[in-house]
Amino acid sequence: MKDRMTRFLAVSAVGISLLCLVVFSFLAIYMNKQSSDTITKVGTIYMTGMNERISMHFTTTIEMRLFQVNALVEEHPSVGNSSDRQGLAYSAKARGFDYLAACSQDGEFEMFFGSSVKVTDPEPFLESLRNNEKKVAVGTDEDGNGIILMAVPAGYEMSDGQTSMALVAGLPSDYIKEVLFLDENDTLVYSHIIRKDGSFVIRSAGAFRNTYFQRLREIFKKGNADNAEKYVEELSLAMENNRSYSSIIDVGTERRHMYCDKLPYSEWYLVTIMPYGTLDETVGELNTQWGFMVTGSCSLVLLVLLIVFIRYFKLNRIQMAALDNARKEAVAANKAKSEFLSNMSHDIRTPMNAIVGMTAIASANLDDRERVRGCLRKITMSSKHLLGLINDVLDMSKIESGKMTLNLEQVSLREVMDSIVSIVQPQVRAKNQQFEVQIYDITSENVYCDSVRLNQVLLNLLSNAIKFTPENGAINIAMYQEDSPVGEGYVRDHIVVKDTGIGMSEEFCKKVFESFVREDNARVNKTEGTGLGMAITKYIVDAMKGTIEVQSKQGQGTEFHVTLDMERAEIEEMDMILPDWNMLVVDDDHLLCESTVASLKDIGIKADWTQDGESALIMVQQRHREHNDYQIILMDWKLPGIDGIETARRINRILKDDIPIILISAYDWNDIEKEAKEAGISGFISKPLFKSTLFYGLRQYMGRSTEKPVEKQEEQKERLGGYRVLLAEDNELNWEIASELLSAQGLKLDWAEDGRKCVDMFLHSEQGYYDAILMDIRMPVMTGYEASQTIRSMDRTDKDIPIIAMTADAFSEDIKKCLEYGMNAHVAKPIDIREVMRVLEKYIN
Amino acid sequence: MNLKECYGALEGDYEDVLGRLRTEKLVQKFVLKFLNDKSYDLLCSSLEAEDYGEAFRAAHTIKGVCQNLSFTRLYESSHDLTEALRSGWSDAAAGLVERVKADYKQVTAAIEELQKGLEG
Repeated sequence: MKDRMTRFLAVSAVGISLLCLVVFSFLAIYMNKQSSDTITKVGTIYMTGMNERISMHFTTTIEMRLFQVNALVEEHPSVGNSSDRQGLAYSAKARGFDYLAACSQDGEFEMFFGSSVKVTDPEPFLESLRNNEKKVAVGTDEDGNGIILMAVPAGYEMSDGQTSMALVAGLPSDYIKEVLFLDENDTLVYSHIIRKDGSFVIRSAGAFRNTYFQRLREIFKKGNADNAEKYVEELSLAMENNRSYSSIIDVGTERRHMYCDKLPYSEWYLVTIMPYGTLDETVGELNTQWGFMVTGSCSLVLLVLLIVFIRYFKLNRIQMAALDNARKEAVAANKAKSEFLSNMSHDIRTPMNAIVGMTAIASANLDDRERVRGCLRKITMSSKHLLGLINDVLDMSKIESGKMTLNLEQVSLREVMDSIVSIVQPQVRAKNQQFEVQIYDITSENVYCDSVRLNQVLLNLLSNAIKFTPENGAINIAMYQEDSPVGEGYVRDHIVVKDTGIGMSEEFCKKVFESFVREDNARVNKTEGTGLGMAITKYIVDAMKGTIEVQSKQGQGTEFHVTLDMERAEIEEMDMILPDWNMLVVDDDHLLCESTVASLKDIGIKADWTQDGESALIMVQQRHREHNDYQIILMDWKLPGIDGIETARRINRILKDDIPIILISAYDWNDIEKEAKEAGISGFISKPLFKSTLFYGLRQYMGRSTEKPVEKQEEQKERLGGYRVLLAEDNELNWEIASELLSAQGLKLDWAEDGRKCVDMFLHSEQGYYDAILMDIRMPVMTGYEASQTIRSMDRTDKDIPIIAMTADAFSEDIKKCLEYGMNAHVAKPIDIREVMRVLEKYIN
Repeated sequence: MNLKECYGALEGDYEDVLGRLRTEKLVQKFVLKFLNDKSYDLLCSSLEAEDYGEAFRAAHTIKGVCQNLSFTRLYESSHDLTEALRSGWSDAAAGLVERVKADYKQVTAAIEELQKGLEG
């Protein structure tokens, strides 16, 4: 294709160049010829005119002279006496004649003055005279000077007694030359006067041959003699027939124009020659210029053509290269797509296994409601993940074309970690691996992130870790936060996934993030997978503007470190405060202990920590002796030495009054629940231990210390947690009580001390800031009725905010009045928290 | 004197308040705060100024607080006073004011006793 194109272009270029050359050459030659022809035509016209002019001049001169001679004859009819002769001679001299003679019948001249003359060719001369015609002829004097003779018939008495035939007057032949400008040097043209036989009458221009014919032959001597003969013949023939003759004599080196015409009153012919030398030079110059112009134009056209061709050729090359690239990309993309599709099954299989497995477990334990619930929860999580993956497949075109977009939403890192942990738990258990989750220094549990993609990244890393770690190996996922360099509103999340698996070679580490790569090694051949996971992971992390690093050593394990900058969720985490219990945290990971203790401190709990069961027992005993028992103990399951369950069993033996011992673990509670319950463990909190995990996990043990069972309202709390309520109440004590009770439900409360304040606070809040208003009716400055009415008439999108009246007036007309003033509902004092929450929930949702 | 005994002395419903406020600590905290409540002063001053509208609101507030803290006896008398004042001043109201004052003193006396016990 490329070669064909090149060849076509080359052939076209050569073809067009040739065509150009031919056309321009033709033009040059044709124009040359045309100009040459034109010059010849012009020359002919010029020469004809020239000859005519010279001829007419000759005629006029001769006629004038003949007329003068005639006048002489008329003035002096007789020359009988000597005075007559003198008068005639005088008159003739006065007219400028140098010779004067009378001519007898037989051609004898009797000179009146001047030396005696002889006619060079007397026969035709005498013949004409005898016919009583005027005649002109040439002759010579005694000294051999050429003379032009003009004869007019006249009968004079001659000395011998005869009567003359004519009067003959003579002039030096140079006179004619002068008169006719035959010898002028300043014109290009020169003329000869010749006779029929070619002999010169008057020669000029340095002609020295006897005849013009000889001269012609001489001229052609260098060239072609035949040519000379041809011209001579033609010229003779023309003179014979009394025709004019015009011809171009090509002498080889130069051209001459010859024109020949008969002269009147004589047997003479005027030959005028014009050399073309100068004309030819001019025309030659013109032709040369023309040639230059043609060559120049031709070169210019060729140059432009060449440039165009080269440009086109280059463009073509670029296009071809682009096409080639596009083709390669298309092939690669196609390959990637088909490989992706065939390999995607691996990623789909992981959550699918969880669903199938959990379904089986649930079916086998239909009577155990808790267990079924746990299974269903995991099935739901896995299904969600599966759905996400299938969405990925559908989005594959986006990933390929680099158009994958992130759906930023508020995400709870706790939920993300919980769901990841519960997805991988079955796999970890199947391979009997140690699994540890570490969370520390978490400042923002809620961030803006694409949860599906984040899940995908974590799951990819974890499932790879599990996959490439042999049985009894250890998997560790850690998450911690630090201030982000991006800005105040951001937090930098570090996620480290570590395993003690087979590791990777150094070379492989470099290309682990490329598509479809897996180390080609006997050790990994039995491991299933596509090798696409890391590429996707890398892609997602890049899209999140994060980084991912890998450190690995063959046979020792791998560590992936993901760093992401996430925007902190704006909504402040609600106040999580628990009673100031004394707690003990037992975990072998000291980072987790420190972090957990710090989190507990945040929610109002004083906690000690220790790293193994034995020391925990010592501490519990110590406290017991001091009558300052721990009120709650958080116990890791897997501990060095005696494990968590055994430790709990022993603690329960020491402390007779059953204090809550709560197991913390990344493993599935269902597996150890039975054993743990028997050991006296009261509950379970799943790792990772976020602040909210601890809060929600521990809150249900609140009240045990007051020995009053607490009703479980957890669901309601979670449903209304974080909502912001404006409470209008003029009495501080009532406000504090309401605040105390409602805050415990996770609501955030603002206090307005009267109706006016309530209206102002609402007015100056952001649209949608408050989710509901609790309104006392009897307030100073402005009553609840008026406040409600004012709020309802505001020009705000949230003017329909739920307003719930709270008053000690429980009469039905009061309730009616509340509704009339635009409030939504009414609750009676004293505050019954269940009733308030029920009503709030109804109107907020 | 503990909290429960205090409730006995002021004739309130301890079980009821504990049910709503959940913890003894909380109940105790709010009970002690009752001493600082300005509603009673407002009632007295507005009655003196014969501003019966304000007096009604003050009585109403006392009633509300008593409901929250389950001070049953004071609640009942303040409730009656509120209803009496709702329609303006009357002789019946004058009698009820005396009853509220007596009950209030009983309540504050009991709480002060509790406070002393805690401080001691």
